Amino acid sequence: MIEIILLVSSVLFIFALKLFGRPSTAHRANTFAMLAMALAVFSAFNFDFSKYDSAFYITIVVSGLLGVLISKRVQMTQMPELVGLFNGFGGGASGAIAYVELSNNALVMSDFFVAIFSMVIGVFTFSGSIIAVLKLRGKLNNVNTTIANIFSAFLPPLILLPAIWDDMEILSLEYFMLLSLIAGIIRVAVIGGADMPVVIAFLNSLSGIAAMSAGFIVNSIILIVAGALVGASGIILTLLMCAAMNRTLLDVLKGGFGGTAINNEYEKDPISTSPEDVAIQLSYAESVVIVPGYGMAVAQAQAAVKELTNTLKDKNIEVKFAIHPVAGRMPGHMNVLLAEVDIDYEDMFTLEDINSEFSSTDVVIVLGANDVINPLARTDEDSPIYGMPILDVDLAKQVIVIKRSMSPGYAGIANPLFINDNTKMLFADAKEGLENIIKSFELV
Amino acid sequence: MEATFLLTLLITFLASFIGYELISKIPQTLHTPLMSGSNAISGITLIAAILIYPEVGESQLLKIIVLIAIAFATLNIVGGFSVTGRILEMFKKND
Repeated sequence: MIEIILLVSSVLFIFALKLFGRPSTAHRANTFAMLAMALAVFSAFNFDFSKYDSAFYITIVVSGLLGVLISKRVQMTQMPELVGLFNGFGGGASGAIAYVELSNNALVMSDFFVAIFSMVIGVFTFSGSIIAVLKLRGKLNNVNTTIANIFSAFLPPLILLPAIWDDMEILSLEYFMLLSLIAGIIRVAVIGGADMPVVIAFLNSLSGIAAMSAGFIVNSIILIVAGALVGASGIILTLLMCAAMNRTLLDVLKGGFGGTAINNEYEKDPISTSPEDVAIQLSYAESVVIVPGYGMAVAQAQAAVKELTNTLKDKNIEVKFAIHPVAGRMPGHMNVLLAEVDIDYEDMFTLEDINSEFSSTDVVIVLGANDVINPLARTDEDSPIYGMPILDVDLAKQVIVIKRSMSPGYAGIANPLFINDNTKMLFADAKEGLENIIKSFELV
Repeated sequence: MEATFLLTLLITFLASFIGYELISKIPQTLHTPLMSGSNAISGITLIAAILIYPEVGESQLLKIIVLIAIAFATLNIVGGFSVTGRILEMFKKND
């Protein structure tokens, strides 16, 4: 009976992943996954609920309620933090389970190594995710990479240290746990904010791998299957995000990229514009492409974007959205924020789909994006972003950049797009700038 | 024992392969809900906690650690699915 329930559960998990692949079926995917999870958890009891005491049931109920409460209260702009936090919990749980199994049982050799692996990955995921959440909340600045390099250099001797001790038993377990904890903290602490899409996807993958290894220890096929599915999907997203920056995963994890201005000199002043002029410019356009970036999320400008889109569409102006894969702080971040304000996903375009259209676009509005539209990625071989696929907005007939100042983006380099002859700068906060443009439309 | 271990490895490989194949063509629009949903699934490690809880024995410390694991995994599952539901709700109203 249990076997049949587990079989149904595995199949449901696989179908759920399949359904996640299309916007029209994605909401059913979540239902499938929840059902699969309920069956899998139910089967773990093996119809014997009396083996468990009240502390067990109270923990489940309280933390379940807490999970619902947290998830309902958080705003959409805080979604990356929340996904990171829950992910850390999952990793932490796997790490804790591996620890208990290691200290409680005499495991056979293969299980012993899998358990060590699960503990290390799980604990790393936990501390790494907590640091990622703190960074996303702006509570933690970039840490100097020197500390990380010193730690990495000393890691091999640190790992071998317990071998010198007489007793390879329990004490070295806690020692390894502590090492993994510190490794997670240091590794994520040196990685800058704009690399967070990679970090979040990577940690997500690790939590799946930790769960999968826990499945090996307790001999649960469903745990192995579901963990492997999560691990694989996380790896795909990680690699996609890295490819979108033309960097390797190792390079991202090494940290220290960006965050400081390397070169922010401009050979001439940019042309600045006013909300009124932008409104006039837009009303003569036939096609408009909006390029959102992290600045839109920070300013919470989604609602203003929607309002401007409506205003333009009422004037029969075509509006599209060009979204770079690593825009924002997690994979698909911009798409979620735009969906929140009811912007049709048919109007959201990926880099490959929209790049050929820029040359025939009348006006591009850049909203809080910077490095992902920097033409130096195509031309300057010495630039840190050289080779990164960018949105070719500089090819459009006119470009309006809404930005508070001329400060550089994450890569710390000047963006020649800002001083192009067909670019005008509207110096304002993303939300305020858009609202002023909308107001000006009423006067045009 | 060896045969079972190999069989388990085979299942692991197949599941990873299926996961990889299913996800590789997913559109960018759905990256966040996919990640959030698969994140919730990683809380399935709760099963391991449920399986080992009755066998922890006398040690109060280990029992507490398993309870922490249960709390973490439950938070991950329930919170994760709930957030994914919220995100997908926004895509649904577009249809």
